[in-house]
Amino acid sequence: MPFNRKPQKFNAAIKTVEIGTGDKKVTLGGENVFPFYAFDGEIANGPKVGVEISDLGLENEVPGVKAYYEGAASIGEVAKKAAEMEGADFVCLRLEGGDPNGANKSVEELVAAAKEVADAIDAPLVVEGCKNVEKDSELLAKVAEALQGKNVLLLSAREENYKAVGAAAGLAYDQKVGAESAVDINLAKQLNVVTTQLGVKPESIVMNVGSASVGYGYEYVVSTLDRIKAAALSQDDKMLQMPIITPVASETWGVKEAMAEEEDAPEWGSREERGISMEIQTAAASLAAGSDAVILKHPQSVATISKMIQALV
Amino acid sequence: MTLFERVFGGNDAVYGLTEGAIDAAIAQHGEEKAVSFPNTAYALPCYYAVTGTKVTNLKELKEALGVVKSLMTRENKLNDVFMSGVATALCAEFIEAIKYIDGAQPYEEPCYGHLSDAVIRELGVPLVTGDIPGVAVILGSAPTAQEGVDLVKSYQAQGILVTLVGGIIDQCQELGYKTGANVRVIPLGKDVTSVIHVVSVAIRAALIFGNVTPGDAGALMTYTKDRVPAFVNAFGPLDDVIVACGAGAIALGFPVITDDDKDVPPIPKSLIIQKDVSKFNATSLEARDIKIKITNIDIPVAFASAFEGEIIRRGDMQVEFDGSRVDCCELVQSRDMSEVEDHKIEVIGPDFDEFEVGSKHSIAYVVEVAGKSMQTDFEPVFERKFHSYLNCIEGVMHTGQRDMIRIRISKDAFAAGFRARHIGEVLYAQVKNEFEAVVDKCQVKIYTNPEDCTKIRHEIAIPAFDKRDERLSTMTDESVPVYYSCIMCQAFSPSHVCVVTPERLGLCGAVSWLDAKATNELDPNGPCQVITKERVIDERIGEYEDVNEAVKKFSQGALEDVSLYSIMEKPMTSCGCFECICGIEPFSNGVCIANREYAGMTPLGMTFPELASMTGGGVQTPGFMGHGKHFIASKKFMKAEGGVARIVWMPKELKEQVADRLNETAKELYGIENFTDMIGDETIAEDPETLVAFLTEKNHPALGMDPMM
Repeated sequence: MPFNRKPQKFNAAIKTVEIGTGDKKVTLGGENVFPFYAFDGEIANGPKVGVEISDLGLENEVPGVKAYYEGAASIGEVAKKAAEMEGADFVCLRLEGGDPNGANKSVEELVAAAKEVADAIDAPLVVEGCKNVEKDSELLAKVAEALQGKNVLLLSAREENYKAVGAAAGLAYDQKVGAESAVDINLAKQLNVVTTQLGVKPESIVMNVGSASVGYGYEYVVSTLDRIKAAALSQDDKMLQMPIITPVASETWGVKEAMAEEEDAPEWGSREERGISMEIQTAAASLAAGSDAVILKHPQSVATISKMIQALV
Repeated sequence: MTLFERVFGGNDAVYGLTEGAIDAAIAQHGEEKAVSFPNTAYALPCYYAVTGTKVTNLKELKEALGVVKSLMTRENKLNDVFMSGVATALCAEFIEAIKYIDGAQPYEEPCYGHLSDAVIRELGVPLVTGDIPGVAVILGSAPTAQEGVDLVKSYQAQGILVTLVGGIIDQCQELGYKTGANVRVIPLGKDVTSVIHVVSVAIRAALIFGNVTPGDAGALMTYTKDRVPAFVNAFGPLDDVIVACGAGAIALGFPVITDDDKDVPPIPKSLIIQKDVSKFNATSLEARDIKIKITNIDIPVAFASAFEGEIIRRGDMQVEFDGSRVDCCELVQSRDMSEVEDHKIEVIGPDFDEFEVGSKHSIAYVVEVAGKSMQTDFEPVFERKFHSYLNCIEGVMHTGQRDMIRIRISKDAFAAGFRARHIGEVLYAQVKNEFEAVVDKCQVKIYTNPEDCTKIRHEIAIPAFDKRDERLSTMTDESVPVYYSCIMCQAFSPSHVCVVTPERLGLCGAVSWLDAKATNELDPNGPCQVITKERVIDERIGEYEDVNEAVKKFSQGALEDVSLYSIMEKPMTSCGCFECICGIEPFSNGVCIANREYAGMTPLGMTFPELASMTGGGVQTPGFMGHGKHFIASKKFMKAEGGVARIVWMPKELKEQVADRLNETAKELYGIENFTDMIGDETIAEDPETLVAFLTEKNHPALGMDPMM
């Protein structure tokens, strides 16, 4: 019996969200086929790769990352190099120094860093808060104000602070809102519903449905991504059609496999290689399950993943 | 004079002034002179928002005045009043705009006049998030400066943004009251026309935050009405111009509260006469439906879930209230809006100081709530939370519910100043915060006199509890108009959906139909959604088209159809949280039920965990279902297969728990007395052969029924 190709056609598509301005701006989403199902139909836009940098500098990074940024003295210069990295589509600035339980940097200081980065690059910018709900409410609102006109994506509005972050980023200063939920399709949908009820346009929302490093309960992430894409495409669920961004580096570089020094675990081999491997595996799986963008750190991971995307789209 | 005459008269007067001002400005500067407010991208924002036209110079301003004139229709209809109000507001904007010609600075400290776009973006975010719960516009002079300042202060304390126009500004200065944007008290100007600067804020908020298209006046008014929580407090005596401005405010959806009742007919919810200035605050908040978030509970000890498990031993106890020995109770009652004074906390009887250390007393606390969306069905839902609320207080222990409560107050809490009224403070704050969606006002009465407590317990509380129980027990699937979905467990069991009906509660046992209903009302986007039940497919097994559609939607297509009353045909799925599992026992034509606590073997040859592993996961497994304990005595239990008569085995402990209700159901359905005596348990049989022998001896009805498979 001859093979009969039957493309799986959907009457729905993922919404498109633009980040950045000018020639370098990127468009997330737009696809109307399952992830990498290029044989079912053309994949609009294709997944994007972001490079993560932090306001805390490079001190704790692995040698490969340090080497890449060598000579960059300021956060602005680091950002410039990140934007030039092979395979990079956008830059993600993580303002982790804002955490009240950590460095507890002031909002003013962090906004200044964000501004320096935004001014240094013409690549699209994603700004991630410090994950403390109260601090992020204030911090991300101020960042949204300071970066008016740059069309940045702010991560994240969560259930506890979506009003403050959503109103500032999505309404007052016309930026893009990242809606973050914890690996649960219903919570993801509910957050999108209430954020749009606030007045934020669905076209201004990108979801971060939560992540984990492979090997750390990652099956939940895959099943959540899978189910969201299925509901968005096969059931035309408008409140799940926002594109998805997955911060990978912040998950994978914090697990034991990427942290343990070689002298402590000689049988595991080079720490840096392990970290890269965790990062690439997690990113590849997230993209295959439906993420429209991933945020990575190591130059080798960025190059590898972007090559994978090019080969599959 | 009628309201029509006053508004039309005021409108005409302002129109005349505006025409004069524009003509004078043209005479002085020429038609081409630019007109604008500083630091806004919205030209003359009010006119731009209403008409979609940007006025840039005096010539265009004159033309715009012609458009305004067309709004000034003079029929004695309410719409004419509102449009004349809008026309008055636009005239005020024109007069104010002329003041800014040539970059003039018409306002000086402390007045602000026009507010820039940047200020609106900054204020807009807390307005959207509710951190600024409302915007008060205070107009004119209060009867005394002190009353005026007290009013300003009361709003400020609630986080409300206050704008001042006219005499109130002088009154604040007179008493040295601090004003300014940083303290959220903004004096606009002393002319009545300066009120337009706060209207301009509301209107630009609609353009910026509401994506309202300029010129779409309908959408604009809907936005300001629904989303901008502003209201006006106008002190008498009101002149016609102020009355006309007030009509404009009402057109935007902002109620006006005034103490002047001369020639001012009240309009329900829009124009409210309140002679007592000290009640302006409460009246305004109620009229505009503003709810103030309580961030700090005013008690001398800590309040946190960390204290929830705290045990207070006899030796550490200052005083104890014990419902098992003396009359105690806790009760929520719905009241009319007029019967509740928000945040009133009364202690009736002796306070903790007057009790001997270590002594035992009566207590009864009644939380009275009122709200437009409040329903008596929510009373038990709130009440059930009291246990957790009171336990979260440092140094307070609470057990039980209804009239079987016990409360201990520790010596440390007492020493820190904890008294009876603080129980009221906690209940007030928690009920208001957690049930904000339905509770508009709340007051608490705490009784500590034994006579009062006896009276309340026996004459009010117990009858109320009985009435509720009766309602619950008489509520049937047929007697309600809708069912509810519950997908709380989908994080673990992605395709599972519970359909909660009065006679079939959620399989976890924790979500009754009333709970689901309350969850839906309190969190409309949450896990419990309304399921209609209008299109019956098969009454026997309880299958509905509406239910199938809902299940398909909420399971993201994983489930196509479910029945409510059958274990064999399209049974409802199970997540993993079921209290009990019911499984088919082929030898007896019946079913065995095992509860989660039961650790032994069942006649099915499987233990509870083994049964659970094949029943859970959101898949339909004919012959097996998870359910709540309460469902066992329901007349809808396996109704399609013949009902509770199929139950042949249950663990002894479970059987005892459900015996009374199950016996009653069996008697009603089949006329069988003491049905549970016919049901086996682990002391009788753990294998099918012994079980069937027992059932035969007892003449169990299942044996004579049709085979289930």
